[in-house]
Amino acid sequence: MAATAIRTEGLTKRYGDVAALDHLDLEVAQGEVVGYLGPNGAGKTTTIRLLLGLSSPTEGRGEIFGLDCQRQPVEAHRRLAFVPGEANLWPSLTGAETLRLLGRAWGSGGSGGSGGRVDEAYRDELVARFDLDPSKKVRAYSKGNRQKVILIAALMTRADLLILDEPTSGLDPLMEQAFRRSVREARDRGQTVFLSSHILSEVEALCDRVGILRQGKLVELGTLAEMRHLAALTVEATFEGAVPDLSGVPGVSSVQADGRVVRCQVRGPIAPLLKVLAAADVTELLSREPSLEQLFLAQYGARD
Amino acid sequence: MISRLTAGRAVRSGGIFGYIFGVAIASSAISYARFYKSAAQRDALAAAYGANKATSALFGPAPQLQTVAGFTVFKISMTLMLLGAVWGLLTSTRLLRGEEDSGRWELLLAGPTTRRGATIQALRGLGAGVLTLWALTGLITVLAGLDASVDIAAGPALYFALAMVATAVMFLAVGALTSQLAATRRQAAAYAAWVLGVSYAVRLVADAGLGLHGLIWASPLGWVEELRPLTAPAPLALVPIAALTSVLLVAAVYLAGTRDVGAGIVPDRASRRPQPRLLGGPTGLAVRLVQPAVTGWWVAIAVSGLLFGLIARSAGGTISGSSVQVLSRLGSRGNGTDAVLGVCFGVLAVLVAFAGAGQVAAARAEESAGRLDHLLTRPVSRSRWLGGRVLVTVVVLLASGVIAGVFAWAGAASQHAGVSLPALAGAGVNLVPPAITIAGAGVLAFGMWPRATSIVLYILLGWSLLVVVIGGIGATSHWVLDTSVFHQMASAPAVPPHWEADGVMVAIGVTGALIGGIAFKRRDLQGE
Repeated sequence: MAATAIRTEGLTKRYGDVAALDHLDLEVAQGEVVGYLGPNGAGKTTTIRLLLGLSSPTEGRGEIFGLDCQRQPVEAHRRLAFVPGEANLWPSLTGAETLRLLGRAWGSGGSGGSGGRVDEAYRDELVARFDLDPSKKVRAYSKGNRQKVILIAALMTRADLLILDEPTSGLDPLMEQAFRRSVREARDRGQTVFLSSHILSEVEALCDRVGILRQGKLVELGTLAEMRHLAALTVEATFEGAVPDLSGVPGVSSVQADGRVVRCQVRGPIAPLLKVLAAADVTELLSREPSLEQLFLAQYGARD
Repeated sequence: MISRLTAGRAVRSGGIFGYIFGVAIASSAISYARFYKSAAQRDALAAAYGANKATSALFGPAPQLQTVAGFTVFKISMTLMLLGAVWGLLTSTRLLRGEEDSGRWELLLAGPTTRRGATIQALRGLGAGVLTLWALTGLITVLAGLDASVDIAAGPALYFALAMVATAVMFLAVGALTSQLAATRRQAAAYAAWVLGVSYAVRLVADAGLGLHGLIWASPLGWVEELRPLTAPAPLALVPIAALTSVLLVAAVYLAGTRDVGAGIVPDRASRRPQPRLLGGPTGLAVRLVQPAVTGWWVAIAVSGLLFGLIARSAGGTISGSSVQVLSRLGSRGNGTDAVLGVCFGVLAVLVAFAGAGQVAAARAEESAGRLDHLLTRPVSRSRWLGGRVLVTVVVLLASGVIAGVFAWAGAASQHAGVSLPALAGAGVNLVPPAITIAGAGVLAFGMWPRATSIVLYILLGWSLLVVVIGGIGATSHWVLDTSVFHQMASAPAVPPHWEADGVMVAIGVTGALIGGIAFKRRDLQGE
C-alpha cells in the first residue's frame, strides 16, 4: 500500500455549541486525487485550516505524511503547497515579486522532502500557460488574475501534496482548462491532490475519490463508481405498441410518459423493471448513470 | 442609504470623542479653579507661561492665565485641536476611501445613485458626526461653566466648543479630498496627515517668537488659534475656516465624479520591473511593507526635532525664577534650553510611541486580511514571523529615538544653544522605553485577543497622553499619573534619563511580547 499523505482521526472543531467539523476520519493515499465536496459552511475550509495548522482542533488529530499538523507544522509545510479560495495578496507587490517571495518562503525552509526548491522553468511555463502578466501590481489585478498568482505559486513548488481550497474561483473557462491540465500533470508526477470544490464537473473530471461533507460530517467517501448507488439511474424507453404502467414496479419512481416515450428513475436492482420492459414492445432503451451533480443533489436535495 | 450608514458610524465615533473633549475641557477648568486659588499663584503661573516662547510654540500663546477661561484655552486647546484634526482625517478617509477599498461602495453604487451623489450622501453622514462632536463638547463645557468656580457663560462655552471642533471639520474635508486623490485608505490618511504636520509646523514657527507671527494666517491651525475663544473672541477667523472647508468639499465631490470607483486621481503605476530586494523571507517582507509608513514617521520626528532644537535657546531665555518651578510641573526640572527641550522631548515621545504602535497594528492587519496565511502555510513558523516583526519594530523605535536626538541637537547647535550631541542622543534613546511598553502590550493583545490589538494599542496610548496632558499642571493623584508611560519617562535632557524606570518599562514590554508570542503560537488565526 502506498504511503499516506493525509490522515485524520476524529478531527473535530467546535465553535461554542456548533460543530464546524465533527469527528472526521479521512485517509488520502500518496498519489491520489481526492475531491472534497459540500455546500457553503459544511466544514471544507475548516478541515483544510486544521490540516494546515492554522487552527487547532477541539478533539482528534491530523497528519500530513505522518507529521502532526499541530506539532510539526513547519516540517509538514515543506511537503505541501496550499491554494486558498480568496487571493488576499500584498497590493503593493507585483505578480513577479509575489511569486519570488512565496517561492523563497517555501524554499528557504532548508532541505525538505520535496527538495525545498522552486522549479523555475515550470514556473515560467505556468506563467505562460495561465497567461499572467507578472509585471503588474497585485492592486491592479482582477480577482481571477490574483487567483492565478497563488495557483502558480503553489504549482511551481512541485510539492508532494497540493491542498486546494476552491482554487478556481474567478477563473474563466479557458483558465479552468489550464488548471485541470496542471492538476493532471501533478497527478502524473505522483503528487497527491486534495481538492475542495463546489464545481462538480471539475471534481468529476479530476478526482479518483470523492468525499461529501454535510454539516461538519463526512457522509460519503468513495470512488464515483462506488457512489452511484446514492442516486437513481435514469431510464428512457420508447415503445412500439401500448405503454405499460411502470409506477408499480419496485424501485421505480418519477415516471413520466410523453406519447410513446417513458422516462423514469430506478434505485436498487434493475431486474424488476427489465422484466416489465421485456414483456412490452420496447424499440429503444437509454439508461444514464447519475452524474456527480445528481449524486450531490441526491445528498442535499433530499431535504427540499 | 449611504448617508444613513455613514452617519451611524460617524455619530458613534463623534459621540465618543465629544465626550472625551468635554471631559478634558471640564477637568482642566475645574482643576485650575481648585489648584490655583490665590491671585499670587495665578500671577506666578502667568509669569511663567505668559511670555514663554517654548510653550507658546508647542501649545499656542497664553494670554489671561489669571483666569479660568484663559488657562483652559492654553492648557487644552492645542491638544484638542490636534486630536480633532486626527479624528477628522481618520474618520473621513475611513468612511470614504476605506469603504471603497473594501468593495462595499460598489454594491451601493450599483443602486440608483451616482458617484457624486454617493459622496455627497457620505459627507452628509460625516456632517452628522461633526455635529454630535460639537454638541457633546459644547454641552459638557456649558455644564462645567455652571460651576461657580469656573463661571463661563453658555455663549462663550459653545463658541469655545466650536473652535475646538473647527480643526475636525477642516481635516474631515482634507480627508475627503485626499480620499479622491489616493487609491488606498492608508495613502489618503497619509496625505492628510502631511497637511496636518505642515500646518502644525507653520504655526509653531509663527508662535515661537522669531518675529514671524504673520505666518499664523498661513496655517489652518493658526486660524483656529486666531478665533481666540474665551479670551478675545474674533469670529472673523471663521471666514478662512469656512472657505477652506467649502473649497475642499466641493473639490472632493467634483473629483469623485471624474474618477473610476476604486481608483485615485494621483496615478498609481500599475506595472513595474520586479524589485526583488528584501523578498527573501518574512522579515525582509516586513521591512519592505512598513517602509513607506516608517519613512513618514522618521521625517515627522526629524522635522519636529529640528524645529524644537531651533526654538529651544530663544524660548529657554524667557524662563527664569519662579517659572522654572511651574515648568517642573510639566515634568521639566532643568534651566533654560534644557528645560524647554525636556518638554519638547515629551512631544517627541508621543510620536515615537505612535510609530511603534503602528508597527504592531500593521502586523495584525497582515493576519486579519488573510495575507499571513500565505506565509504560515509555507515552512515559516509563527515564532519566526512574529519574531521578525518584533525585531523590525525595535529597530524602528531605536532609530526613531536616535533621529529625534540628533535632529534636535542639529537645530539647537545651529543656534549655539550649548547642548552636547551625546546628551541629546541619550535623551532620544530615552524616548524608546515608553514606546516599547506600549508595543509590548500590543503584542500581548495580538496573542491573546487579536481582534482587540488596535483598540488596546490606541487606548493605552490615548490614556497615557491624556493623563500627562490633564495632569501636567493641575496635580492629579500620583496613582493616576503612574499609569501613564509618558509620566514614567524622565524628561531628558532637562534631567538625566532615569535608566531604572526605563529598564522596568522595557521589561514590561518584553514580558508582554513574550506572553503574546506564546499565546499566538497556540491560537487559531483569525480574520477580521
